[in-house]
Amino acid sequence: MKVLYIALAAWALAAVRIFMFVRKRRGRAAAASAAESSRAGSDPGGAGYFGRWTRAWASPDRLGDVGEIAMREIKERLRGRIFRIGTLLILIVVALAIIIPKLSSSGGGGGGSTVQTVGVLGGLSPGAKQVVEAATATTKDKVTFSPESSLAVTKTALRTGKLDMAIIDGDEVLLYEPAALASSPADPTLVQNLAAYLGLLSAYHSARLTPAQAGTVTGAAPVPVRTMKPGSTSATKSTSVVGLVLLFFMLTQYCTWILIGVMQEKSSRVVEVLLATVRPIQLLGGKVLGIGLVALGQAALVVGFALVVGKAVGSDLLNGTAPLVLLCELLWLVLGYAFYCWVYAAAGSMAERQDQVQTLALPLSIPILLAYIFSITVASSGSSDVFFKVLAYVPLTAPFCMSALVGLGQVTWWEFVCSVLITIAGTVGMATFAARIYRGAVLRTGARVHFRELFVRGQRPGPQLSPASGDSAE
Amino acid sequence: MLELNGLRRTYGSILALDDLSFQVPAGRVVGFLGPNGAGKTTTMRAIFGLTELDAGSVRWNGAPVGQAERRRFGYMPEERGLYPGMRVGEQIEYLGRLHGLNASGATAATTTWLERLEIADRRDSKVETLSHGNQQRVQLAAALVHQPELLVLDEPLSGLDPTGIDAIGKVLLDQARAGCCVLFSSHQLDQVEDLCEQVTIIDHGRLVASGTVDELETSGTQRLVVRVEGDRTASWARSIPGVTVSEVKGSAARLVLADSVNSDDVLRAAMHAGRVTEFSFERRRLSEVFREALA
Repeated sequence: MKVLYIALAAWALAAVRIFMFVRKRRGRAAAASAAESSRAGSDPGGAGYFGRWTRAWASPDRLGDVGEIAMREIKERLRGRIFRIGTLLILIVVALAIIIPKLSSSGGGGGGSTVQTVGVLGGLSPGAKQVVEAATATTKDKVTFSPESSLAVTKTALRTGKLDMAIIDGDEVLLYEPAALASSPADPTLVQNLAAYLGLLSAYHSARLTPAQAGTVTGAAPVPVRTMKPGSTSATKSTSVVGLVLLFFMLTQYCTWILIGVMQEKSSRVVEVLLATVRPIQLLGGKVLGIGLVALGQAALVVGFALVVGKAVGSDLLNGTAPLVLLCELLWLVLGYAFYCWVYAAAGSMAERQDQVQTLALPLSIPILLAYIFSITVASSGSSDVFFKVLAYVPLTAPFCMSALVGLGQVTWWEFVCSVLITIAGTVGMATFAARIYRGAVLRTGARVHFRELFVRGQRPGPQLSPASGDSAE
Repeated sequence: MLELNGLRRTYGSILALDDLSFQVPAGRVVGFLGPNGAGKTTTMRAIFGLTELDAGSVRWNGAPVGQAERRRFGYMPEERGLYPGMRVGEQIEYLGRLHGLNASGATAATTTWLERLEIADRRDSKVETLSHGNQQRVQLAAALVHQPELLVLDEPLSGLDPTGIDAIGKVLLDQARAGCCVLFSSHQLDQVEDLCEQVTIIDHGRLVASGTVDELETSGTQRLVVRVEGDRTASWARSIPGVTVSEVKGSAARLVLADSVNSDDVLRAAMHAGRVTEFSFERRRLSEVFREALA
């Protein structure tokens, strides 16, 4: 895990360096542009019909074709009401997912400060009273003792709920039903502590220990516990599950944006105007990059928000290695998006109507859905098998399966890196394949394009249009 | 100058372009005509590399056309291509930037073209809220925003009212006068006749006629309109060998003369039939040139 920390830190450092480098270059270019504008301004009559425009064609303040396309995508997405409301809803859900468990853990029967009425039959010796007080102090429960006259009365009081538990003759704890049941009013921790402390007191008496000896034994501190292989705590496991759910929803959402975006460009025919100027791979690359940056921004916002809220409320969900698990899931969101966006883009280029998109989207979502279900199951149960571990190296399923393994602490750094590299290699292959489909399909109008049409002999993969969107060559 | 040399393109068994060659000179508005399915759109798409050719080449000023050249071309496709939910001004600026303009240049050019096309007040409207005519104007502004050297317009006048046709026609003429090559297709032959200096007609992917409007309208068989007072049958003309009476309307007869017929002989025959009140050579309408070329 230390290696992962180092790798993430190196990645962040590299990103900052690249950002500063690009910014510096842009600054130089802008200065050169200003100088050029100044020169042009001193020669107003020098520009011919095309002169003033040809200067702009080499303009340095442009982001490049891919950058321009990406910037449009970013603006359009950020401006969209659905995106803003969706982001807000995700943040609310994340906040609730962190805050509610915290509130319930601090207010429920698991060690919180509840009011407990303890019946006492047969009285308590001073020592026993001291032990009972010590037991209640550890749970922070507010305990009220109620002397009882008989066992029958005590049982009736327990049955009617007047008492939460009762101590019988200082050597037995009586409950109406097991404390672990949700319907039981007794704090299970208090019950457990009372039983243990009273048992200990009984043992002291039997061993005839002096008060000093009893104090030494009572004050014994547990020896430290160390593990050679880091494992996951329940908090990390919960965080992993929450992260997997977010990963699934976000990945599905972003890939659907790509699918719909490509389909809309095709159906509105704007793709013909765009491809008259830029290459298909530039158009597709810009779209993927733009939506990807919005996706990364939204995911980073959610993760950052989760960390801040978790820290603020002292949530167990972000204890230990849980933040690292979240960061790994963020990384896998990026890798998963990088892989699947090409698949969805290629599918979008083959459709022209909403119903065609839905037909295509269903089979595409199957591997994501299966990987998600497997991963949630494994992350919840805490155990994985060989098949699941193999899926963690398959680019189609790796984003979910490897994230789940990280959450369980069942993966070494080199296994993680290996899976990342395989996914990157798979992404390159998928991008090449998808770009070929996109080029061949995005300008074909009319009926839905089928794979066979794109790859049968004699069909060129390059830009080509159906003859005038129909059956004639207009 | 745009040169199309030996373009050939098939779609399965359909031959869309069949060794098509013609030129579009700078500073001219060239009408690109042909019946439905003649190959006009395929030709225009081939100029922008949107259709892969089986054979032939597209050259601009003597050099093959690549992405750098296409960046300086403007294109208005037949099926309009705009983002429906994007604002008009942003859309034109965006397309201007894809054609290489910087931010300030794209903004200034957008303002200029929206004003010239009289839709400046719709700058912040979404495209989908505009009327068909105004969407057409936005599409034209998108094709013009980067001041292209070559303007290729597929049916730019379809669906426009007379005011819109006049406005767009004036813009096209202005562009040509400023040195731009303008190639546009249309089925509205009267408008083509008014706007174009040159016409190229294709059919079944082949060139069937090309030349200036004057050349095409005055070439071929001679046509005469002869009005003889009191004559409503033009029987005097029917008796002249090589003369065909194409139409008689009142006392006016429209005659088509074979190459062997001398118009002086026709005049003499008319004068013999009665008092001649009109004797004029008739230019062919472009629609007639079109029909004859396709016949």
